[in-house]
Amino acid sequence: MLLLEFRNFLLAGFVNTLLLSLVLTAGATLCAILFAAALSARSRVVTGLVYGLVECLRDIPLMVTVLLAYFVLPKAGISLNPFWSSALSISLWGGANGAHIIRAGLTSVPKGQREAADAFGLRGWRKLVLVVLPQAMPVIIPPYVSLVTSLVQASSLGAVIGVEEVFRAGQVIIEQTTLTRGGSPAYLVYGFLLVFYFVLCWLISLAGRSCEQHFTRHLTGADETSALPRDTTQVVPA
Amino acid sequence: MDFNYILGALPDLMKGLKMTLMVSALSISLSLVLGALGAALRTSGHALLRQLVVGYVEFIRGTPLLVQIFFIFFGLPSLGIRFSVFWSGVIALTLWATAFQIENVRAGLASVQSGIRDASVALGLKRWQHAILVVLPIAARAALPPAMNTVVSTFKNSAYLQTTGLVELTFVAVDRIAYDFRAVEMFATICVIYLFCVFVLAGLAKLVEHRLNRPFAER
Repeated sequence: MLLLEFRNFLLAGFVNTLLLSLVLTAGATLCAILFAAALSARSRVVTGLVYGLVECLRDIPLMVTVLLAYFVLPKAGISLNPFWSSALSISLWGGANGAHIIRAGLTSVPKGQREAADAFGLRGWRKLVLVVLPQAMPVIIPPYVSLVTSLVQASSLGAVIGVEEVFRAGQVIIEQTTLTRGGSPAYLVYGFLLVFYFVLCWLISLAGRSCEQHFTRHLTGADETSALPRDTTQVVPA
Repeated sequence: MDFNYILGALPDLMKGLKMTLMVSALSISLSLVLGALGAALRTSGHALLRQLVVGYVEFIRGTPLLVQIFFIFFGLPSLGIRFSVFWSGVIALTLWATAFQIENVRAGLASVQSGIRDASVALGLKRWQHAILVVLPIAARAALPPAMNTVVSTFKNSAYLQTTGLVELTFVAVDRIAYDFRAVEMFATICVIYLFCVFVLAGLAKLVEHRLNRPFAER
């Protein structure tokens, strides 16, 4: 079978997809934290600028952002290979969406909790990490997991600018076999890739669900489902 | 930045924008209709149909739009099903957006509390009266913000179609860059155009939302 014949080639692409996805997740998380922090900064100028940047990143099509980074950055003297160019642009996009998720999570924690932390003498980082974040996590995680699956899906955009990930590998296989053997196996290869991405994203949402359970384990009983916004449909449509 | 160059490119870009708007408008309207139908099947239909709709939504949301587009444009012809660049783009975008609209409408329907059904029965409303006069206005208000989100995303994602060679806004810009190397000018221009369109769409959404909420607004 064709796919087995090219399994090493596909496997190399698969590894690159995973690698790019990991870089994207880390990069987007970092950007999201930075953006979220900047959005709650004291300086009006900083929040204004970052707000504008975040909105632009969210409103410009990701396809355009990816191409823009690839074509425009070299003009500014920054030459990145396709991998890092797409890593940068998609991470910034993910960070802009992630910043909104983090902010929504932090504002969902009732004000009284912060006041209680103050009363206990917890300040700054300790207040955030010990009191606010654990309560914000159940709100943050579901949309964040869907952001991660969006990032994995967005990694396929790298193929457009030449990252050798699994989607690009599929394209190459189709080109080669069409040229050498005649008859395009495109439906087979793309069908396989659809299933591949589906399984990958499904595994990620499974992992996300168990992660979510970790943070909601103290909420026992029936109101667990009603207390949380379970159905976070389409926070980040990629 | 060379503004004269941008002015010279504008006619081409406007042709691209027209194509972008056409594909988006078709996909958006089709996906809204199909989304409402899908949500109706999802909530009331036969158990098997319900499962099919759930499976469809999960599959579309779990796979990259780019691969879906390629499957439809390059994959289906090898099975003997052939569409033009334009129609395969509309189909791919519609299938993608429908999955999200089904979820949006379903969530809207779910926001109608069950007591309201009893109220309709008590008032002697028939089934269709209940559906159209009672459920629809409530569900539409709840479904509107996420549905408009998806509408905006559908418009933005039309840029993906440049990969199949559809001559839309992004394609025109990239095509010109290949000849003239004016990447900064072209990307600045299309970013402004996309941002403008998104703002207009978002503004329209706000207007409709405002209108629908008028009965509940403070007087």
